[in-house]
Amino acid sequence: MNHPDASDTTETRPAERPWLLVARREVVTRLTDKSFLIGTLITLVLLVGFIGWTIWSEDRTERVTIAATAEDATTAQLLQREIPEVDDGLEVELVEVASDDDGVAALEDEDADVLLRPADDGWTLVGRKEVSGDLTAAAESIIRDATLTANAERAGTSLAELRQGSTVDTALLAGDAERQDFARAMGFLLAFLFYFAALGFGYTLSGSVVEEKANRIVEIITTKIPVRQLLIGKIAGNTLLALAQTALIVAVGLVGISFTEYSSFLSGVSAGIGWFAAFFLVGFLFIACWWAVAGALASRAEDLQTTAAPLSFVMMGVFFGAFLFEGTIQTVASYVPPFSIVLMPIRVLEGDTAVAEPIIAIAILIAAMAATVVLAERIYRRALLQTQGRVTLRQAWSAAD
Amino acid sequence: MIETRGLTRRFGERTVVDDVSFDVPAGMLTGFVGGNGAGKTTTMRMIMGLLGVSAGEVLWQGRPMTAADRRRFGYMPEERGLYPKQKILDQLIYLGELSGLSTPRARASATESLERFGLADRSGDRVEKLSLGNQQRVQIIAALLNQPQALILDEPFSGLDPTAVDSMVDLLREETGRGVPVLFSSHQLDLVERLCDRLVVLRAGEVVAQGGVEELRARGPERLRVVTDRDAGWVRDIAGVHVLDVDGAEALVELADKDERASDAVRRAILTAGLDRGEVRELATVRTPLSEIYREVTA
Repeated sequence: MNHPDASDTTETRPAERPWLLVARREVVTRLTDKSFLIGTLITLVLLVGFIGWTIWSEDRTERVTIAATAEDATTAQLLQREIPEVDDGLEVELVEVASDDDGVAALEDEDADVLLRPADDGWTLVGRKEVSGDLTAAAESIIRDATLTANAERAGTSLAELRQGSTVDTALLAGDAERQDFARAMGFLLAFLFYFAALGFGYTLSGSVVEEKANRIVEIITTKIPVRQLLIGKIAGNTLLALAQTALIVAVGLVGISFTEYSSFLSGVSAGIGWFAAFFLVGFLFIACWWAVAGALASRAEDLQTTAAPLSFVMMGVFFGAFLFEGTIQTVASYVPPFSIVLMPIRVLEGDTAVAEPIIAIAILIAAMAATVVLAERIYRRALLQTQGRVTLRQAWSAAD
Repeated sequence: MIETRGLTRRFGERTVVDDVSFDVPAGMLTGFVGGNGAGKTTTMRMIMGLLGVSAGEVLWQGRPMTAADRRRFGYMPEERGLYPKQKILDQLIYLGELSGLSTPRARASATESLERFGLADRSGDRVEKLSLGNQQRVQIIAALLNQPQALILDEPFSGLDPTAVDSMVDLLREETGRGVPVLFSSHQLDLVERLCDRLVVLRAGEVVAQGGVEELRARGPERLRVVTDRDAGWVRDIAGVHVLDVDGAEALVELADKDERASDAVRRAILTAGLDRGEVRELATVRTPLSEIYREVTA
């Protein structure tokens, strides 16, 4: 402005970087919102609980009490000795019963978990309502080996000779199976986290846009700062929150995993997690623009379900794409925004990408995001002051300023 | 001074504001009246740069108004524009900061205004907890935070009780005292009449009258009230008089001619005729209420 102001009464200057003020308000509002804090806390508690349970059940040994009559004591003792060797999660205690009927009574009184009963062609494990699958498997292999050893001796041969050439093992060219499974599970978890954050924070963002519209405060704000600054501030604030919440969840999860038997796999997925963070950041900015537009197209909170529905479907598509896309479709989709946001990091996690692939995909995503900001700003600006009911994308796009 | 020149806004085929030109002089309260849908809000939004103009322009101090000028304006939208769930003081500080105030200055300014309106003890409450009148007060505080160089207020008096109206009026007077031009819309004509220095009347998107209240009044025919000691029906026989109402000894008449000499002659004729028939207890000019002027110009 070149003209001196005749009635200049105060020395206010335009706010510097007003988007920062807007972003700060978004963050502070959310951080002082009890339901948000409680929600985050519950998520963390569930996560810690789940990991804790995993660790506990890994170390836990189950005590099984087997009832047997004196006649069957030899087999029962064999089981007691051998079962912990076969399955280190099981420990066996023996209870001697006078008869089969007493054994059944012991089961009913819960003095024993299982009754060992001779059958025509071997043994039966009798339980009350169920017999543990682990116990059955262990008992089966022990008794089979013992019987085979006895039968082999009787036939003048040995168990080792009988077994010769019968083993089946697996081998993989790349990595090992367990590590692959871990990477896969990790990928799905991260895809889920993105879905969770994109939907949760997306709805919050569009909700706060509608709130400003419905209460007309947007009219006051946009006389003070440019609409673009308002849009950037809202997107920046919500992206920061989404990143921080997700980072917190991932950090707690990773620390938890480091206490489990999977800790050795962590170094193998760190590159994938790093890429996930990069894609999440750009991807969330990309999607947040559209959530802001969905908010601007509504006039009241009730309209939001309609204007945000297409976006929810896209998010769901991205989420299921992470599970369902395979082969060529997965490779192609891992370059196409918004699918690339989760598919490319998943491919990196699974270790089947060349170095350049995630770089190209994120470049495409950044380009899409930049284009989106420009488009979204135009729609956002034009829809923002139309407070009579829902605005269609076409109306907002073609409306005069 | 704010000036609009040929301001026009079309929504598709519909012209909502049509070639609107008026002035909001510095240091004056300018009332903006007109029926529902006359285009008041649209015009104010165009002045504030919230809506683009289809044609015409808005001038500030004689040159085209810029976004930087508007940032120093105080604006109050038609409906209460505040975050319902945010605490009052926090919200005012935020709006002050957006206007370019530093945080301490925004806080000081907001606290001072809240005290002035007797809302200091509510500063930690959420806006939705306040009564409508108090919400309106917080809104005007928001508009005044950065010592605006002009005020554009859309229906600032709606929903206020008489006491609140008075304190709002005092406040606006203080602003005009600083030389600030104030434009406010209202449909409460009695209030507008009492308050404004100037009036702009809008009908179907067009300005049908503007000027000082007395000026507008002077445009219409002069009205006289005649009170005698007997039936006043005789006023009907006097030339140059249009009788509006005769009620027993009282009559309300309108002078047909606006010319001063002619109206003096008619006044004398009424007095003479009245004294011929008995006593004339009163012969007085009646101030035409604004509502009547409004009805005439918008008819």
